[in-house]
Amino acid sequence: MTDMLRVTDLHKHFRLGGGFGRRAEILRAVNGVSFSIAKGETLGLVGESGCGKSTLGRAILGLQKPTSGSVELDGKDLLAMTKAERQRQRPRMQVVFQDPYASLDPRMSVHDIVAEPLRINGVYREARVKEMLDCVGLRPEMADQKPAQFSGGQRQRIAIARALALGPELIILDEPVSALDVSIQAQVINLLMRLQKEMGLTYLFVAHDLSVVRHISHRVAVMYLGKIVEMGTRDQVFGAPAHPYTQSLLSAVPVPDPKGRETRGRIVLKGDLPNPANPPSGCAFRTRCFKAQARCAEEVPELVDRTAPGHASACHFAGIHTKVC
Amino acid sequence: MWVASFLLSAVMLLIVVMPLLPIYDPYGQDLSYGLMAPFEHDGDKFSILGTDFLGRDLLSRLALAGRVSLIIAVSAVFISLVIGVALGLVAGFFRGIAENLIMGFADLQLSIPRVLLLIAVTAVVGSSVLNLTILLGVTSWVSYGRVARAMAMSLREREFVLSAVTQGASPLWNMWKHLLPNVLPQMLIVGSFELGQVITLEASLSYLGLGVQPPLPSWGLMISEGQQYLAINPWMSIFPGLCIFMLVAGVQFLSQRFTKEGDQDLKMATRWSKKPA
Repeated sequence: MTDMLRVTDLHKHFRLGGGFGRRAEILRAVNGVSFSIAKGETLGLVGESGCGKSTLGRAILGLQKPTSGSVELDGKDLLAMTKAERQRQRPRMQVVFQDPYASLDPRMSVHDIVAEPLRINGVYREARVKEMLDCVGLRPEMADQKPAQFSGGQRQRIAIARALALGPELIILDEPVSALDVSIQAQVINLLMRLQKEMGLTYLFVAHDLSVVRHISHRVAVMYLGKIVEMGTRDQVFGAPAHPYTQSLLSAVPVPDPKGRETRGRIVLKGDLPNPANPPSGCAFRTRCFKAQARCAEEVPELVDRTAPGHASACHFAGIHTKVC
Repeated sequence: MWVASFLLSAVMLLIVVMPLLPIYDPYGQDLSYGLMAPFEHDGDKFSILGTDFLGRDLLSRLALAGRVSLIIAVSAVFISLVIGVALGLVAGFFRGIAENLIMGFADLQLSIPRVLLLIAVTAVVGSSVLNLTILLGVTSWVSYGRVARAMAMSLREREFVLSAVTQGASPLWNMWKHLLPNVLPQMLIVGSFELGQVITLEASLSYLGLGVQPPLPSWGLMISEGQQYLAINPWMSIFPGLCIFMLVAGVQFLSQRFTKEGDQDLKMATRWSKKPA
């Protein structure tokens, strides 16, 4: 299977402050991220707020220019190509944002919102708009209404219809359900999964909700402070997490089954996410890690397959934690 | 709200209905009936608000002057709104050099007193209704520009603009399709606020003799004409002054009302979405 998206050593740094003789701090929001997504696959990208997962999504989309690294869409390097060529590639990669209230222009009708990508690219047909609305389960008579008349879930469907209008191959889903009620979340997730099956879409699914990611993803990557700390198939990451950070995340997920409650442990992390402008030396996670040793402060652990083939983790002491699994 | 409606409808009634009546005659002079007081009978001659020093009917002149003032003010507001929105959107959307240049120019313009600037320019180009309108328009774009820039800065980060970018939209597309429609309601509020100021400014300039030229009347000009007869017939200045007050107060009350109503909209339009993680 060929890779739909391949990201290699991507960096996105922001300069903070500086000027008038003060030294600027460099915030490494995305600090050397590499991964690839195969055609028709869903990669779930998990991490807590502020770890750089949304910035990563925006850098891939070209909304923010990456500091270094490469983004290849279907084998073509998006950052190396000319502006005109880049513009031609845009319809192949679309996005659905988190906030369904900010993602639709309040002054446009639903029809105009879904028609916009078609009009921008000069391929507007009314039938296509109807087809898209039908595709995401919205009734045609809703087309004349303004976004304000819709609920969060319906708005997200409109945003999905807009993203699908140009027939993209890759969709970046930037926390598409985290602003929705749980019952609505399930509907939207199922819609996304159905569309993926029907149209052969590739998803990069950014989220902080582990159970949602587990439901939709084929592969999962866990991000911490601008880096991927663990990546593998869904069953590898959820069934046998190797990185202490992943283990602590999973131990925080409530399990409905009371059986084995006594043996299941809860790993509670100390402290907060360190300042990304001034990250700890060595392994960025060592300040909160229960396994941390002297080596962690000196040597940055590489993201390599450690516990199983195809299951990479960035920890010197990667291994299954019995309390979690 | 009803105060504003009352004031504005009184002015509108004067401006719109008065010229339709048979007694309307803003230019007819009759020196033997000059400087009549309101409701004064002088033989068979009767004038509701009296006459000016040339015996012209004050009520008729007030009505014509109102048209002149309002047309100048509305056109000037329109001109400054177009300039301000265009420059503000460019500054707020592109940021960088364009923003520094435009906002620097705005600050430069604000540092020169507007009346002084207008006096200097009219002294050079000469005073006519057209010149006055253009000058008033060109010199009052800054408030529109500032608000438009601030809103554009917030709107350009909103997801519906970002998603248009990922679909291949050009900056022009985004400014025209997304920024302009979202900025326009607030611009109209700013415009209603500015209208009152432009009316007073026009009156001041006409009073100074740099605006509307006689025999065309304007409220400011009429006050200035009446000045010499203040001791004999103060009504010549009082009525146009009252008219300016009613129109400006009405417009201001109304615009304050707009601002209140529009606040919710403004909050929605400029609402910051969650910052990227």
